Amino acid sequence: MEIEGGAPLDDKAKRMRDLLSSFYSSDPSSASSLPPNTSSRFATLDTINTASFNADQYMNLLVQKSNMEGLLQKHVEMAAEIKNLDTDLQMLVYENYNKFISATDTIKRMKNNIVGMETNMEQLLEKIMSVQSRSDGVNTSLFEKREHIEKLHRTRNLLRKVQFIYDLPARLEKCIKSEAYADAVRYYTGAMPIFKAYGDSSFQDCQRQSEEAVAIIINNLQGKVFSDAESIQARAEAVMLLKQLDFPVESLKVKLFEKLEQFLVNLNFDSKELTDSSVDVNGSLDPGRVPHAASATAHEASVREFAEAVRAYKVIFLDSEPQLSKLAQDFVTKHFEATHQQIEKQIHSADLVTIFRVIWTDVLLLDEVLPEASLPDFAFQSACVAVKDYISSAFSHFLLHISDAVTKVQGRQKEQIEEDYPLQVALEASQKAVLQGSMNVFLEFRRLLDENSGLLLKLRDLTIDWVQEGFQDFFRKLDDHFRLLTGKSNVASQEVNLLERMPGDKVAAGLVLVLAQLSLFIEQSAIPRITEEIASSFSGGGVRGSEYGPAFVPADICRTFRSSGEMFLHLYINMRTQKISVLLKKRFAAPNWVKHKEPREVHMFVDLLLQEFEEIRTEAKQVLPQGINRKHRRTDSNGSTASSRSNPLRDDRLNRSNTQKARSQLLETHLAKLFKQKMEIFTKVEQTQESVITTIVKLSLKSLQEFVRLQTFNRSGFQQIQLDVHFLKSTLKHIAEDEAAVDFLLDEVIVSTAERCLDPVPLEPPILDRLVQTKLAKTSEQSLPS
Amino acid sequence: MQGGSTGIGYGLKYQARCISDVKADTDHTSFLTGTLSLKEENEVHLLRLSSGGTELICEGLFSHPNEIWDLASCPFDQRIFSTVFSSGETYGAAVWQIPELYGQLSSPQLESVASLDGHTCKIRCVLWWPTGRHDKLVSVDEQNLFLWSLDTSKKTAQVQAQESAGMLHYLTGGAWDPHDSNSISLTCDSSVQLWDLRTMKKINSIEHAHVRNVDYDMKKRYTLVTAEDESGIHIWDLRNLKFPVADLPGHPHWTWTVKCNPVYEGLILSAGTDSAVNLWLASSLGRNDSASDSLAAPPTRRIEPLLNSYNDYEDSVYGLAWSSREPWVFASLSYDGRVVVESIKPHLPRK
Repeated sequence: MEIEGGAPLDDKAKRMRDLLSSFYSSDPSSASSLPPNTSSRFATLDTINTASFNADQYMNLLVQKSNMEGLLQKHVEMAAEIKNLDTDLQMLVYENYNKFISATDTIKRMKNNIVGMETNMEQLLEKIMSVQSRSDGVNTSLFEKREHIEKLHRTRNLLRKVQFIYDLPARLEKCIKSEAYADAVRYYTGAMPIFKAYGDSSFQDCQRQSEEAVAIIINNLQGKVFSDAESIQARAEAVMLLKQLDFPVESLKVKLFEKLEQFLVNLNFDSKELTDSSVDVNGSLDPGRVPHAASATAHEASVREFAEAVRAYKVIFLDSEPQLSKLAQDFVTKHFEATHQQIEKQIHSADLVTIFRVIWTDVLLLDEVLPEASLPDFAFQSACVAVKDYISSAFSHFLLHISDAVTKVQGRQKEQIEEDYPLQVALEASQKAVLQGSMNVFLEFRRLLDENSGLLLKLRDLTIDWVQEGFQDFFRKLDDHFRLLTGKSNVASQEVNLLERMPGDKVAAGLVLVLAQLSLFIEQSAIPRITEEIASSFSGGGVRGSEYGPAFVPADICRTFRSSGEMFLHLYINMRTQKISVLLKKRFAAPNWVKHKEPREVHMFVDLLLQEFEEIRTEAKQVLPQGINRKHRRTDSNGSTASSRSNPLRDDRLNRSNTQKARSQLLETHLAKLFKQKMEIFTKVEQTQESVITTIVKLSLKSLQEFVRLQTFNRSGFQQIQLDVHFLKSTLKHIAEDEAAVDFLLDEVIVSTAERCLDPVPLEPPILDRLVQTKLAKTSEQSLPS
Repeated sequence: MQGGSTGIGYGLKYQARCISDVKADTDHTSFLTGTLSLKEENEVHLLRLSSGGTELICEGLFSHPNEIWDLASCPFDQRIFSTVFSSGETYGAAVWQIPELYGQLSSPQLESVASLDGHTCKIRCVLWWPTGRHDKLVSVDEQNLFLWSLDTSKKTAQVQAQESAGMLHYLTGGAWDPHDSNSISLTCDSSVQLWDLRTMKKINSIEHAHVRNVDYDMKKRYTLVTAEDESGIHIWDLRNLKFPVADLPGHPHWTWTVKCNPVYEGLILSAGTDSAVNLWLASSLGRNDSASDSLAAPPTRRIEPLLNSYNDYEDSVYGLAWSSREPWVFASLSYDGRVVVESIKPHLPRK
């Protein structure tokens, strides 16, 4: 019920409240600020001031909570409050009304004031209009004058510029005089646009003059750039200015660079001179040292100068390092080229050392200036090459030297022997050449090692290796060379030989013998000494890496030379026996042995044979050492007993060989051979006079036997051979050492002849002896007058 | 290297120089050898190696009228062979046929097939084409080369061509190329001459070579082996005659003869006047040739070419023959008339 009745009342109350709250805008906010969930009984009593005030709820709450007394009290309170509120409301209404009245008054007054304003405004407009027209008048009257003034101003500016340009030559002159080139350049560049625009017409003279001045400036600046006296800074500035003047700086740069190059050329010439002088000097030892030193200092000074120039250039022209590096490297390269030329001229190591020292100081100087070029590395590499070159050239000279010494034999033999013992001389000379040469080479190389200056010190280990390698290589080459000389070279190096190989017949046998002995000498004396030297001063290179072993392998070389020595000795024997074989061949090919005439004297081929042996003996005597006690040992050997046993047998057989018992004869030979030890004809050859001669004699006699076996003889032919052999028997004793073997072989020849004879009747011993005696007498007669 | 007396020996009565393998005998390993006796009646021995290879059996003994300087067996008929003989100043060459034996071992006469007459100076050798049936025969004397047309059934031999080697060239021997029946090499004083039998012209030569004996390699074409005058053995490639392909040391005195093995490539036998027979292996040397260009290779690494040296001989060895049936067997003949047959089996290169 209350709700129904209370609804309009509520509406009214709510409107009132809204109005009030909109007026006191703080109320709803304070009301809403209350916590919404204060549904407790205390809270409810406070909600009377909030917006969400529910009157019924409030009433219920109040009734529930309060007792009668409380309710009454509340009622009183509320009545009082309501009364208060009513009066407040009334007050507000009155106040608002007052305000409204006063506002109405104000509006009334404003209305009165505005009426006079219209006229005022019109007056103002009028005045403004008149002001505008006046100012327009002034404007028009002043316009022409202002134009004029502005024109005048412009003309003045132009004139000032023209004045500047006309003054420019003079100013430039002045600048040139005071050397204020920077200002001059600034003026000139300022004037440039004008010259560009009007230069052809109005300012021709002026432009010409100023250009002349600028040309002078450019000249001066160039001079400044090129003059070494100026400070680097000044020169750099000059270059900057030139650049501003649109001067082709690149060409300048090129020019300056050319200058540097020119400098370099001169410098190199200097260095060449230096080394030249030092080389010349070297001949005359001490007196030359002073000029040498002087030129060295001169050289150093010029290099210093060069370094300065390079430094300047580097500062003046930026980004020029690559070019300069190249130049510096060129410099070093040229240095080393000069060195290389020196090396080719067979320079001494001392000179090489000085050259290296000079180069190193130069390099250090340049490196200070130009670290970008990494000159020390570059120089190091070049030095590597140079030292290697030097070592190889030293070795090749050495090789040449030895081969000269050796080949002199051949040349000398051709032009008739003047000395008595050409082979001996040659052998001694070449032995000396080998020893002395290797010692010299060592001396040279040791000087390289002893040097403590930068380059060589760095190269030390490498040098040691190279020297070792060099020796190894040298001996291999020497061996090859020897083989080449004898025409007996490896199949492997055929290509080389196609050109150089000498036909085997043309090689002098003596040379071969000398080479044989020389090889032996190298193996037994030279190599040990060199090994010693290397051990003492060239050990411990070790850059090669241990897995390769040392570069110099003496055992290897010894082996090579030993085998070569043997090879040469065999070759010598071969050559000699071949010659004798030809002799024998001719002897047996010529006559018809089946129709041979009675022997009247020893055949002359024996003389030729002995002559050959004699020649061999002289050669061997010159070159080969004497064997020790060979004769004695030989006579004790099996061979002699065998031959002494077979001799009577043979004589016996020969005596009755005319009996027709050839079969039993053969049987006897067989038996004899069965009983005796096999004759060791082909023993190992040693490098002694006796061994070589004996071997050749034995081989020749064996050949004789073989030739005999190919023929068929009649009685006289047999007797001729018998006579010849008999003579040989008595003469060969003096030549060959191994008497037993020689006897045996000579007997074999006779036996073989008997076997190949249709009617083997030997000469009677007295006749034989007589004929041999006459021959001996004849030869001694011949030898006496000669 | 001392070869023990491993060989099987057989003694001839007289001195002898030549021995030949009977190639046409496919059932047995046989050799023919002839004696060289000035005063006695010479003999031709037909030797057969027993099946066990332990004994040399004389299968036939035939008397020969003169001393035999060269003997060659016909490669296609085991009963036919040729000899070169001389006696004093007379000389001759003939082709013989071994008579049917009928079991008896007496010395029946040899049947003459043909006599190679017409030579005017000392005959050196008679050559058969080594590879097979061929109706031609070559005989060489000191100055001339004869090409014969041989008909064994009709027992005739006719000179088909004859050419002089030139006045100053004393021919000493020769060999017929087994790979080319038209090509032949002749040795003379200072060169080896290569002849074409179709044109009878010298087509090439190895100059400045003092050669005692030549032999072609049966397996490898264009390979010629020469025994040098003094010592040493050279191996040549016929397509490049300027330099030998390889060198072998040879013998201390003369190397008299060289023989290439018919089956094993590079096996070479040489016999010398130092009373020894050497067995060489040259193929490895030849093959290494290109590789050994670098001188850096130490000489010790070079393979020793000498496989074995047989020196159980009393005198110079002149005769040498490989068996073509059993190529690991060879027969050698020393001047004292001793035939030694050896087997090289222990030295054969491992395949």
